[in-house]
Amino acid sequence: MEGRVGFRLNIAILCGLVLLSACSSAEKVRSARQEQATEFNQRAQHAFQRGEYQAAADLYESALQLHVAIENVDGIAVNSLNLARTNQMLGKPVLAQRYLDLLLNDKALTYAKPHLAAAAVQKSLLRLQENDMVGATAWVEKAAGYCVSDCKITGVIDNVRASIALHASDADKVLYWGERAASANRDEPLERANALRLLASARLMKGEADVALRLSEEALVIDKALGLPEKIRQDLLSAAQAHEKLGQLEQAAQCRDRAARIAATALK
Amino acid sequence: MKLPNYNQRLLSIEKRTKRFMLGAIGVMLLVLLMIAVKQDYFSRSTAIFFFTPNAQGLSKGMAVKFIGFKVGSVQEVSMQPNATVRVKVSLDDEYLHLIGQDAKARLVKEALVGESVVEIIPGSQQVRQVTQNSVLEFERGQDASTVVENLAAQLQPILNDIHQITSSGDIQQTLKNLNLASGSFRETVNQYTQLGANGNKAMDRINSSLETLDKAIPKLVDKADATLDNVQSATSDIKKMTTDSAGEIPALVRNTNALVQDGQETLGGVKKSWLLNGLFPPSEEQLLPVDGYVAPKRP
Repeated sequence: MEGRVGFRLNIAILCGLVLLSACSSAEKVRSARQEQATEFNQRAQHAFQRGEYQAAADLYESALQLHVAIENVDGIAVNSLNLARTNQMLGKPVLAQRYLDLLLNDKALTYAKPHLAAAAVQKSLLRLQENDMVGATAWVEKAAGYCVSDCKITGVIDNVRASIALHASDADKVLYWGERAASANRDEPLERANALRLLASARLMKGEADVALRLSEEALVIDKALGLPEKIRQDLLSAAQAHEKLGQLEQAAQCRDRAARIAATALK
Repeated sequence: MKLPNYNQRLLSIEKRTKRFMLGAIGVMLLVLLMIAVKQDYFSRSTAIFFFTPNAQGLSKGMAVKFIGFKVGSVQEVSMQPNATVRVKVSLDDEYLHLIGQDAKARLVKEALVGESVVEIIPGSQQVRQVTQNSVLEFERGQDASTVVENLAAQLQPILNDIHQITSSGDIQQTLKNLNLASGSFRETVNQYTQLGANGNKAMDRINSSLETLDKAIPKLVDKADATLDNVQSATSDIKKMTTDSAGEIPALVRNTNALVQDGQETLGGVKKSWLLNGLFPPSEEQLLPVDGYVAPKRP
């Protein structure tokens, strides 16, 4: 009898301890410097969201300096990538590339492959913007090489490959990479719209105006929901071209007029 | 004889422990139930979205109101790869039929010093009602501080003009000059009448008008003087108040700093507590998403 009661008490205490342990969680121990760097990063993130790119760049720079000082490799990678993106938004592609080169050419530190993939794909986009097809191709292939496991930018890489093919006026390759990108980005509206826009351009090149029109309209719906003036304008121009090829000149003129009104706002 | 007593006591302890455990589990279940009710786990809801250029004033858990009634809450505020902000709102199914696809979401402040809420502005009744994943148009309402700022901007030039006019002394000088001129003119008229134009009625009228003017002008000068005295006294009052509180301001700033620091520490502690840490986003560094868009070549 005594043994049974003791056993029950032990079980009850054990259950209580299990319940208490379920409530606790192991908090990562972080230094004050790391906390400060995180705070700078989060403030920069808010500034970027508000479109205050210069303030965001200054805060990311402060976060980067702290991470360099405590040699936090992930922190260095994240803030360098953010600085590249912010400088791209500020219209400073040379500075953006310098931050990416700091990661891609670093011989002393080893960065995580997803970070290197993101850096390489951003570098490829910057090269493509400057019409350097060879450089863009080389960097997108490097990005694909880095994008092996835990990589969330396969869809972006495929879109960049399709963009390179479009610059080379290779409709078949645009269709191949664009289809892959559209399928990989099913849950990413921004990249899916990018893929649909590329596919519409390829269909226009192949003379399939009706398909191009459908794709442009699908991309237009997404871009309108996301509120992206420059992309909405591109979708409308693409739709205008498709209407023209279909002999629907009135609709084409309407689409061009709509695109011109958006361009007049000078918003991107 | 002692052993059965001991066993009986153990049995009673076991019973009491069991009751205590059952009570504790009951309380825990009740708390969980209350949290679930508060979080709307038992009400059926529909998710809709809106997009905004920035997340200022928007936060997870914010109330969503429709004609003054709470009809849902903000579930998620997330940044999109293109640096726009996507806001996910959960609406109670009960009110869904009242909200059309052309309804608008507006961020408003409930009072001068109050919480911000997302208000649903009803659209036209003919349009189809919102469904899962519908996207609403978003606009920001004018909050009290914006209204005050606008008012201040409109009042500023008026105040500047008043200040310029009263501080230059031109009014006072002009009135004094007018007084002197009227005195001289009256003297001239008197001399003219003495020279034989006494019978001229027109001259009499001029004379009487000048007398009236002569009486009125000193009063005007006095009033202008009083107004300027009031302005001067108000300025000296403000100066005195500033001087008196000059010593207190640094201490006030220090106290405010300490208060803010205390508040931050308390908030930090609350954020780390196991009961609430799930409600706050993890304090980890975030990477901006990559946008694979390349602007087409310009012809």
